[in-house]
Amino acid sequence: MNPLPITDTDVSAYVDGQLPAARLSSFEEALANDAALAARVTQLRQHNAMLHDAFDPWLAEPLPDRLIAAASAPEGPAASASAPKRAPRWMLPTAAAAATLVVGIGIGWFGRDALLQRDGTPTTFARQAALTHALYASDVNRPVEIWAAEEKRLVNWLSKRLGFAVRAPDLNTLGFALVGGRLVAGNEMPAALFVYENADKQRMTLQVRRQAHPGGETAFRYAFEDGVGVYYWIEDNCSYALSGNLDRAQLLAIGRVVYGQLAAPEAAPAR
Amino acid sequence: MPLPPGTDPPLPQPDLLAALPRLRRYARVLTGDVTRADDLVQDTLARAWEKRRLWAAGTDLRAWLFTVMHNVFVNQRALARHERHQVSLDSEEEGGEAWRIPVRSMQYTRMELIELTQHVGRLPVDQREVLLLAVVEEMRYEDIASTLAIPVGTVMSRLSRAREKLRAAFADGPGTPSSLKIVK
Repeated sequence: MNPLPITDTDVSAYVDGQLPAARLSSFEEALANDAALAARVTQLRQHNAMLHDAFDPWLAEPLPDRLIAAASAPEGPAASASAPKRAPRWMLPTAAAAATLVVGIGIGWFGRDALLQRDGTPTTFARQAALTHALYASDVNRPVEIWAAEEKRLVNWLSKRLGFAVRAPDLNTLGFALVGGRLVAGNEMPAALFVYENADKQRMTLQVRRQAHPGGETAFRYAFEDGVGVYYWIEDNCSYALSGNLDRAQLLAIGRVVYGQLAAPEAAPAR
Repeated sequence: MPLPPGTDPPLPQPDLLAALPRLRRYARVLTGDVTRADDLVQDTLARAWEKRRLWAAGTDLRAWLFTVMHNVFVNQRALARHERHQVSLDSEEEGGEAWRIPVRSMQYTRMELIELTQHVGRLPVDQREVLLLAVVEEMRYEDIASTLAIPVGTVMSRLSRAREKLRAAFADGPGTPSSLKIVK
């Protein structure tokens, strides 16, 4: 049986990895014997790579406040009329404020966790860390609740809210100064978020939380979620995630310093 | 008509926030203008909240938001056509505000990427959006078809045409400096 002739559509589908399996072997055979076809494939792949190079960096741009606000449930008669009836009892006092960002995120996280549980996605923590990073690190004016000027108050407050002693690693030697911190919603318990910034105004965040279900320790793991790189690990029943729009090697180097500082509590300055 | 209670759970906000950068990118490719792109994203989000019961929870929120944005854009364009409000994507030297190219790119020179985006900007919007969704968003053709409510065959033919135009525009290959105006 003679294979069907190769069409432009086949070439497109091939470079996009979407050529049906039934066509794949005859296409690859033609590719091996047809220099013009091979050149065309190479060229399209090059165009694909260029399009990514041209358009991907847009994803890392900070989001304007008006769009972050528009992602929250709108206030309005329809929303306020139906929301309280549907909300569980414990949520009622906050229903009126459901349109504010912070509460909106709280509700959102619950929906998200249900999804994650159902899909069995194992990267919950890394993904949450990336989303949290994207949300707060892009906020130029108010990335934190308590600024680094009041570091002691910040650390005491977070330790109290989390129920264990947290501290902010000192990353000044790496060029990252502490901006401050805030409390953020985690899966089942709150998490602490420390925000750092370097001289180029690049921000990096460290999220720390107690594990809901005590489990072993892990090596450094890396995830890339929606343009944000995340190194995360578990130690002493705490999960840590370091997130930033930095290259992987740089993030890893910072992760090692953070790990080293947190693993050596005796070396911490007395508070 | 007010929605009956219980049928309009909120959209998962972290997913919405996570989708924002991609919505903005899609909007820029559609409108060719940074400010109008953000207006389009904002209109899309408002529309998404309004129509949230049409999203089947658990399905790909991003793809659904792309559908909403596509529809909002098509409607707005139909209105604007009265005023001959034409989008020009390639008017500026560097392709206008929407087509800002970061200085640091990974593999290609800034000039090459500027040239590429200008070529993309000259494509008809139908081809431009299919190219973005297939190549940059790496969506399956079937998903693009349902996002844009067109047959899969149309997705593939638009994509082929877009690629053929890019190829013709880069007549002597994108990697060859002879096709580029090098500006010192």
